[in-house]
Order: sequence, then C-alpha cells, then structure tokens
Amino acid sequence: MNRIRALIIKETLHILRDPTSLLIVFLMPILMIIIYGYCINFDLNNVNAGIIDLSNGENSKKLIKKFTNNRYFTIKDLREKYSDPLKEGEKLLKSGHLKEIIIIPADFSKKIEKGRKTEVGIILDGSDSNVANLIYQYNELILLDFQDDFQNLNNFLKIKTKVLFNPDVKSSFFFIPGLIAVLLLMITTLLTSLTISREKESGSIELIFISPLKSFEIILGKTIPYIFVSLIVEILILLSGKILFNIPFRGNMMVLFVFSILYIITGLSLGILISTIASTQETAMFATLLTTLLPSIMLSGFIFPLDSLHPILKGFSYIVPATYFLKIIRGVVVKGAEIKHFIFEGIILTVFPIVLITISNIKFSKIRERSK
Amino acid sequence: MNNIIEVKNLTKKFGNFIAVNNINFNIKKGEILGFLGPNGAGKTTSIKMINGLLKITSGEILVNGMDANKNRKELKKIMGYMSQKFSLYPLLNSLENIEFFGGVSGLSRKTIKKKEEEIKNMVDPLLLRQNVKDIPPGIRQKISLFVCLMTDPEIIFLDEPTSGVDPEVRRNFWYEIYDLKIRGKTILVSTHNLDEVEYADRILILHHGDLIVEGEPGGLLKKHKKNSIEDLFKDAISNHEQN
Amino acid sequence: MRIFYLVKKEFIEIFRQKELLPLLFIAPIIQIILFGYIVKTDVENIPVEIINLSKNKTSYRIINRIKNTPLFNVKKISYKNRDSISTLKKGNIKAVIIFRDSFNKNKNILKYPEIQILMDGTDSNTSSIAAGYFNGILKKYILSDIEKMDKKLSIENKTLIRFNPALKSINYMGPGIVALLLTIVSLFLASASIVREKEQQTMDTLLISRLTSIEIYIGKALPIAIIGIINMSFSISVVMIWFKIPIRGNLFILFISAIIFLTAILSYGLLISTIVSTQQQALFFSWFSMITFILLSGLFTPTENIPSSLQFLVKINPLSYLIKIIREIFLKGNGIEYFYKDLLCLSFITILVISISISNFKRLISK
Repeated sequence: MNRIRALIIKETLHILRDPTSLLIVFLMPILMIIIYGYCINFDLNNVNAGIIDLSNGENSKKLIKKFTNNRYFTIKDLREKYSDPLKEGEKLLKSGHLKEIIIIPADFSKKIEKGRKTEVGIILDGSDSNVANLIYQYNELILLDFQDDFQNLNNFLKIKTKVLFNPDVKSSFFFIPGLIAVLLLMITTLLTSLTISREKESGSIELIFISPLKSFEIILGKTIPYIFVSLIVEILILLSGKILFNIPFRGNMMVLFVFSILYIITGLSLGILISTIASTQETAMFATLLTTLLPSIMLSGFIFPLDSLHPILKGFSYIVPATYFLKIIRGVVVKGAEIKHFIFEGIILTVFPIVLITISNIKFSKIRERSK
Repeated sequence: MNNIIEVKNLTKKFGNFIAVNNINFNIKKGEILGFLGPNGAGKTTSIKMINGLLKITSGEILVNGMDANKNRKELKKIMGYMSQKFSLYPLLNSLENIEFFGGVSGLSRKTIKKKEEEIKNMVDPLLLRQNVKDIPPGIRQKISLFVCLMTDPEIIFLDEPTSGVDPEVRRNFWYEIYDLKIRGKTILVSTHNLDEVEYADRILILHHGDLIVEGEPGGLLKKHKKNSIEDLFKDAISNHEQN
Repeated sequence: MRIFYLVKKEFIEIFRQKELLPLLFIAPIIQIILFGYIVKTDVENIPVEIINLSKNKTSYRIINRIKNTPLFNVKKISYKNRDSISTLKKGNIKAVIIFRDSFNKNKNILKYPEIQILMDGTDSNTSSIAAGYFNGILKKYILSDIEKMDKKLSIENKTLIRFNPALKSINYMGPGIVALLLTIVSLFLASASIVREKEQQTMDTLLISRLTSIEIYIGKALPIAIIGIINMSFSISVVMIWFKIPIRGNLFILFISAIIFLTAILSYGLLISTIVSTQQQALFFSWFSMITFILLSGLFTPTENIPSSLQFLVKINPLSYLIKIIREIFLKGNGIEYFYKDLLCLSFITILVISISISNFKRLISK
C-alpha cells in the first residue's frame, strides 16, 4: 500500500506541475457546455417555403393562412414576385434559399366548396433527408388540420396528449445532460490515455518496470489520481448546466454521484488500456479520438435515438459506455428517477472498468516481461 | 593563439528570471573549454545563445570577429551542435538519422553515402538498422557525435555529452574529443561530471547565471590550494551563495 | 532538396508507428460505413406500452393500426391500469397510450374511445414528432371511416422530392462525414507534429540545420496533406461505391476546395502544435477544436438554428464551408456559381490562419 501511495503522489505531482493542462481540463468543458448549449438545437423553425397559389380563392387563402400562422414556416408568395414563379422557385430550391414550394391548383377552392376530392402539389428539397422528413410531416399536419376545420374530427374523437417531464418540449433538457455524459467520458479517457505511452516514449517506463511494484499496482497508481480531477470536472459541468440552462435537478444528486464515479472510472480505465497498448503518444492520441469522439456522439443516443437504429448498430451501442450513463443522467436529472430504475446500468458500469483494468493489467505484464 | 569566440556582457532573461547574468569570456582556437555548473546554472542557455538557438537579451558575441547575430547563415556552416540527450529521432534507425541530418544540413547525396559507409566501419551494422529508441545509450551517443561532425564544423558544441552513459564509454568519448582537438577543432563541452574537467584546457564554472571561476584546471588548483576540482567547485559555489 | 529529407523523415516516423497505420487508414473507412447506416434521424420504433381499458371494438382496430406503423414498437399491451410514470422513469418505454371508454355525448354515429397518450418529453425532438404522427394516424383513421359513410372530403398531398428522392440520409450525411474524417486525421497529425519534436528534444537540431523556418513548416505540412488527400480519396470512393451515392457535380472543384480546406486545418493544427508544450496539451486543444468544428458545421443539425449572436462561430468555421460545398457538389450537382461565395470565404479564412500560424512559428524559432 505504501508503494502505491508513492506512485500516486508522483502522478499527482505530475498533474499539478502542468497547470496549463489542468486549466484546459477544467475550462474547456465549461466553454463547450456554453457554446454547444446555445448553438445546438434540433428544433426546426422558420423553414423557408414558397407558395404558388393558382386558385386564388377563399379556401386557398385559408390554407395559406394555416401555413403562415405557424412557427414552422416562413412563407414567400412566389406569384407576387416573379412572372415565372415555378422556374424561379426551382432555382431558389437549388440554391438552398427555399426548402419547399407549395402549389395550389386552380380548381382548389371550388372543389373544396363542392366537397370534392382535390390535391396540393409540393416540391421538396430532399437533400437533408431528416429535415425533408420533418417538413413532410409538418405539411401533413397542416393539411389534416385544414380538413379538420370542415369536418370537426374532434367531435368524434378525443385525444389527450400529455408530455411529461419536459412540458415545454425544450431540447436543452435533452441535449445538456447528454452533453455532460459525452464530455465526461471523453475527458476522462483523454486524461489517462497518454500516461503510460508517454513513459514508453521517454524511456522512463524502464524505471517503473524495475520497481518492486506489481503491474496491477502501477495501473491503479496511475488511475486513482485522475479520479479527483475528473470529479472536479464533473461538478463544474453539472453546475454550469444548471446555472446557464436551468436544467432541473429533479432526482437525488447522490444517486447521480454514485453512478458518475463508476462512469468516471470506466473512462479512466479505457484511457489506461489505450495507453498500455499504444507505444507512442501519437498513436494513443489518435486511438482515443477514434474510440471516444464519434462513437460517443453517434452511437450513444446523444443525438440519434437508439430505438430507431439498425439492430446491428444498436448492438454496437451496448459497448459504448456513454449509452448507459446517458440513460442514467437523463433519468435522474430530468425525470427524477431513482436507483432502482438503473440496477442493470449500474452493473454494466461496474463491469466495464473491471474488464478494462484486467485487460490492461495482462497487457502491461506482458510488455514488462518482454523488456526483461 | 587568437580568440575564435569572444563573449561580451552576455545576458539572457526569461521574463523576470535572469538565466545568464552579464558574463564575459573568450574561446581560443583549437582549445577544449569545459563548462561546469549544477543544473540550471545557465550552461545550456549560454551555449544556445552562442550557436544561435536563443536570442540574446543583451551583450555581444563575436565569432571569427563577426557579429554572431548578423551572420547566422554563415556561422551555421562552421558550427556543430550535439544537444542534451543525444537528440536523434527515436523512431528512425541510425542510418536514417544520418541521412536525414546530412540531407537537411545540405550535404550532397554522395557525401551522405560516404558517411553511411564510414559509420558502418565504426558500429555494428545490425545495430545501425535498429530504431534509435531501441539501441544502447553508448551507441546513441556515438551516432549523435557522428551526426554532429558530419558537416566537418570548426567549432563544436557538446551539451552534456556524457550524461547517462557508463564510465568506460565516457572515457572513450573523451579520447574522441582529444582526437578532434588534434585535428584543430575548437570544442566547448558542458558537463556536471566534475572528474571530466581535468581533460579540458580551460574551465568555466557557472552558478545561477554568474561566471564564478575561469582558468586552467592545474593553475586553478594551485591558486586556490585545493587537491581536487571537486573541492574547488564546492568551495566556489558556497562562496558564491554567501554573497 | 533539403526539404525532401524532412518529408521523408516525417513519413518514416508515421509509418513506423505500427498501431497508428490501421487507425489512420482503416478505422476511418470503418467509421464511414458504420455511421453511414446510423445517420438517419427518421424517428421510428419508439417503444410504447398500451393500456386498453376500453372494451370497444374500435379500440382494438386502432391498436392494430398503431402496431402496423413503423413509428411505434408496441412492447406491451395490458388491460389494467398501471403506474405509467414509473415505467417512463425507467426509460425503456418512451410513451404510454391509454384507451378509456368515455364516449362523447355528441350524436355522432361513430363511437371512439377516449385516447390518452403520455410521452416522455426528455427527447424533445422525438416526442414532438411522435405526438404529431400519432394525431395524424388517428385523424386519418377517422377520415377513412367518414369516407366509407360517403361524406368524403380529402386533400391529397402530392409531394415531389428533389435532389434525394428516396430520402436516403446517407446521401446527405455520407459526403459530410468524408469532410469530418479529413478534419480529424489532418488536425490531429498536425497538432502533434511540432510539439513532438519539442518533447523529444530534436527541435534544436532541426533549427540549427540549414533548413529555413518556411522549409520546416512546409516539410511538416506536406506529408500530412498527402496522407489527408489519400484518406479523402479512399473515403470518397467508399461513399460512392459502397453507398452508391452518385457524384453529380465536378470532382475537380471538390478536390480544389478540399485542398484549400486542408491547408486551413493544417495551419491551424501546426499553430496548436507551436503554442503548446506537451503532446497532451496538443491533444486537448485539437479535441476541443474538433468537436467545435463538427457540432457547429451543419453536419448533424442545421446551422440556421444557431442564434444570430453566435452565427459568427459558423462563419469562421472552415468545416461549415467545406460541408456546404461538398453537399452542393455531391447532391445537387450545382456548379461553382452556386457556391463561389463559400469558396471565397473559405479561402480567406485559410489565408488568415496560415499567416497567423507561420508568423507564430517564426516567433517560436527566434526565442
């Protein structure tokens, strides 16, 4: 135990001697929360749509009003502006100034009056398929709503929709806790990912090899000091999330704290494993970026809902640690969930570091053996 | 003998920290000058100012009578530098290091080939093909010196060339330095191994950026009535600290 | 000529790191393929639980409808009231739909149960889409009932989709991911390249050689640029062959834009590398920059959503221009007249970054 303590002290000194890195580690996450929190927004507002109304009747005007009085669309009357509205509209579509063109046929108003079947033509920019899908849905909703006015569908059917936990449907409730989870994993992994490979590069690893310390002790000694650094980082980003974005903390903070320690250790162990395998810092850096950056952003449910993923890819998401913590932090912070809701996730987050540390230990012992 | 390097009122500041404090000395053509001092005394900083790696805060350096700062390009051609820790590229093997340094120093392809043959006669070719990070420090030192001498410089700066190698290698290294002196080179060696300085023609002792002792080793021992350089060194440093 | 030796040395150093090679050349390809399949935000398979307290026949028919839409994945149907809030808190179920028999007192011939949907609003995007969809499904269901009773009135939505008619998201994201990987690989290599020399103390030897500062700078940048371009060509081929995305525009202009972008990223990476003193710091800086470049580039979320006070972040982000240009060329087949402004802005940023970077590098050299 004494020997481990010596190593821990040495590593801690190493951290403290490099105030620049420490400052970066503490400041960057806060900066990131601020920038991304304000900038990233999944809601689609003010889609630029052009309208060509060939019918020019009362009913078509009603329909246009439905499109105009809606936060989703910003409507431009193309007929008013251009002599050849369709041609100009297509050009605007191509240059990206318009996302869709809505064409109301000449007989629209009359047909509606007579209660006959009619149609609306829409030309949609499909290049961003997600946005196109959303716009298509909005169109459908507005058209249904329009018909509703004539049919009073609500008299037939009562639908009550209730959005729980986030009644104002703010995307920051979704995004900020997710960002915390993703940042925390990346920072913890980055912290330890260079520790061993740096010693390999400078040759000082030999000194550690010949010390009486067991490989396991060396690995622990290199991990433990960073737990404190990571906890400070976590508290800083949680606070900035709460203060800047009014994220409610509905659940028990102790619950979050317990799980986050597991999560932090997972990230640190992942870094240690990378560091044991990579023989240069450059390799370790790149490996860290590849294993944490894109998978945590794309495969954890951070942006793309896991339920909608292809089953094979969903399988991949199970080996991304952020997946589990993301679920926990969103549950605790936004929904006020309790420990009993996350037994499974807790077990997984305990198994992760054990497995990672064990592999690192085996790998490290092998390298040590070979150097003799 | 005429002075090849004249250092006048040389000072280097990093912010408020004074690394080298107004020092004056000369180096004569063809001599071995030993630079002595504990870590942080200003040895490396002084060397780097003379060979142009660091800017001078104030003072003047004349090399062959020319202002060193204004004639960098010319002087690069006559200076060789072996930095601390034999800075070779660890991921390249020795031959590749030689090719690289030869190439960027402006040697012709033919000369580089000749140099590669030369080293093969000095060092086991098997070792030459191993990445530098995997070869023993003694060999690394040898390659590093070889690289430093490739351009056949007149003035050679050796910064802690014997740190981290065992005593036998160290002794052999000094034979090579003597060899260089015989060939008429001027050599500036910094070290903190006190037993080495007796090999030098003259020594300078630096402490906290100040030049505190200058002279021939034998003469200095007589003058200060000491038996060994070590005693002299300890005495000089404690005297300087009291002031 | 001297610079040739430096370039050669840089290549040897990269290629001798055996674990680095697969990371540099194979991992990006795997990521493109993997993420090519992920990047669709089409909301589907939302896990729901249905609680049917109604004995009305229509409730069964509506439930059948719900089961048949790709939007919902019905995990469980129960006939007794349950604690829905706790279910939602656990997070495995995203919505609970409850059918109740409380008929309207209207004189309508058709009788529908009262339907309540409880949504987990954490994921604001998914929940609002789902709620909208759900309302749509039900209304359409009623409309078809009404139609059977010969009281029809309907408006057909005839939509024509341009540029990406199958609405395949890979068509939109694939080219963007190419740009993303180009950023990651080149920024990372550049940010390590100078600081590594500092750490292994070879910088001095480099500086004392005959190389001029510009030669060192170019010698550092060139190998990374070559690796970046090879990497990009690989990934463009993968996108075109594996995902069968046709390139409609001019491939030459695409490469020119990519090279301009690459120059900006490289000079930025070398700037980081000049400023920092350890590779760890370089790693932190380049990581932070990368995420910022990626998230504010319009790759995942439309840049229009960024508040106007922060739009300048998009304007100074070189990746946002490249992604826009790449998409114009790939998807729309637009000619340069549609994006020459973006190209000009990108070039301007590049010139700016490169001059800051070089002047900083020169300052490092003459301490």
